[in-house]
Amino acid sequence: MFTDETLDLIGAESTWRKSHQQTQESRSCQTLPVHTAEAETQAKAVLDNSTQTQDQISQTLSLDQNICHFPGLLDFLHRAEDVVTKELVKNSKSHAFDGFEVNWEDQNESVSCMHRLQHVDAQERGLQVTSVSWNCTGSVIGCGFGRVDDGDWSNEKAYVCMWNLDRQKLNPKRPDVIIGVVTPVMCLCFHPLKPSVVAGGLYSGEVLVWDTSRSQDLILSQTGMSADTHREPVYRVSWVPGARRGEFTLLSAGSGGRVLLWTVDGAEAKLILSSGYALVQQQVPQSGAASKTPGITNIEVTSVALSPWDLDTFLVAVPPDGESVTLRAPVQFSFSTRGGPVHSVHFSPFHRNLFVNVGTDSLAHLHTVLQPRPLLSLRVSDSYTFGVRWSPTRPLVFAAATGQGLVQMFDLGRRSLRPVATIDQNTSGQPTYCLEFNPKHTNLMAVGNADGSVSIWQLSAELTEQGAKETAMLEQLANEVAD
Amino acid sequence: MLQAEVEETIKRIQSQKGVQGIIIVNAEGIPIKSTLDNSSTVQYAGNVHQLLMKARGVVRDIDPQNDLTFLRVRSKKNEIMIAPGKEIIQKPKQM
Repeated sequence: MFTDETLDLIGAESTWRKSHQQTQESRSCQTLPVHTAEAETQAKAVLDNSTQTQDQISQTLSLDQNICHFPGLLDFLHRAEDVVTKELVKNSKSHAFDGFEVNWEDQNESVSCMHRLQHVDAQERGLQVTSVSWNCTGSVIGCGFGRVDDGDWSNEKAYVCMWNLDRQKLNPKRPDVIIGVVTPVMCLCFHPLKPSVVAGGLYSGEVLVWDTSRSQDLILSQTGMSADTHREPVYRVSWVPGARRGEFTLLSAGSGGRVLLWTVDGAEAKLILSSGYALVQQQVPQSGAASKTPGITNIEVTSVALSPWDLDTFLVAVPPDGESVTLRAPVQFSFSTRGGPVHSVHFSPFHRNLFVNVGTDSLAHLHTVLQPRPLLSLRVSDSYTFGVRWSPTRPLVFAAATGQGLVQMFDLGRRSLRPVATIDQNTSGQPTYCLEFNPKHTNLMAVGNADGSVSIWQLSAELTEQGAKETAMLEQLANEVAD
Repeated sequence: MLQAEVEETIKRIQSQKGVQGIIIVNAEGIPIKSTLDNSSTVQYAGNVHQLLMKARGVVRDIDPQNDLTFLRVRSKKNEIMIAPGKEIIQKPKQM
């Protein structure tokens, strides 16, 4: 019936397992043998060095001590006096060194144009260079763009541009720093101690201070517009030493007859008015004809020069009756130029009484503060002259920028009154508005032109190296005050 | 009395032709009397002292029996005359 049965095992082979294996691939790779090497070094000698700046401590001398502190002094003086007196007398009679000249460096024989700096945007819009300024280290030249020939209120945007001439990759067509400004810039002045701080005066009457070492917003402080500030174009800004050493206040002079002093408040980013002078026609002592206009009229200020000798004195140029010197009180003295508006005034860095001024009468006048009439008048050009500066190294040399695009340099030591050098700015007749000598590299001169370019000229050795008797000649010239 | 004599002597030298100023310096190079302003005095005294020591060294190096009697430094604008004795320095100017 029922029997036990064993059957064979029945199995089914996996189909997917095999196919999985079939799609498998294997790869292997191996890097090339890596080369290694070992080496050791050891410093045999170690040197440590460090530096630190130190505050300048002014040394105090005690020079009026009692002689009994120095027992041998009198004996020594007796001996030395004879020797020294003999040498002095021999020296004053000696001709041994007459005409003996030594030159330590190669003499540069000619004047050459080192760079011609332009800002393409400004040139396209026809803006002119109204002012140039070197910074205190002499490596950066800054220029302000604006317009001088516009009579109307102008809202044209302008620029302040700076080039660093010591950089190797200097691109004359691209400034290193470009600051956009709302209205045309009329004047520019770098801070005498801080290389990155620069102040500028605008056509709208605002005065701004920029700090180019900041990464963002470059404006350090500004005046804003109020009843106390300038309402007319500001023609000159200048840094004046303040009460404490190392502190500087900003002086600005504008068309409205106001000369204002500002202190920089970096925290509030504002310029705070500390004092000011308003020049009023009634207060100006006239040296010649009486004033014809009745009532009080504010005098237009076209140029200001600060005396490097006397911190309270500055010259203010006003048209058309002449200039005035003001001290802290109202106007003290008035000089006549008899020519027309004065465009630029500059005090001599070598003599405390001398200054030179130029204007629309095509002459450069050399004045002394002791008398109203000029000491000397030189013919500079056939048209207006816009800027004049004394050379920082040669007491008898000054340079003037003319309306024909030439810079004329005069040497008062020569007998002839013709210019000793004429430097053509190559602006095809357009005027040259401003010029500045480099304070550190004294053979460089920057000139700003109406075609929107700044030329940097390297002057010859003849124009920059001081001769033996120049200071004495300047003194003589200054003393020719007419009785 | 001594003070007056010293002042007299200095005045006599100062009145020579072309003398711009006189500085008297002690053995350490510190100025003790001067007719110039403080900052110039300090500048001259410091610099000249070193120069004097060097010059004296040169003379004695070449001939140990010799010694420096006078040093004159002539420049474009003026001349410095130094009479050592125990390092005393004067500075006249020549036109």
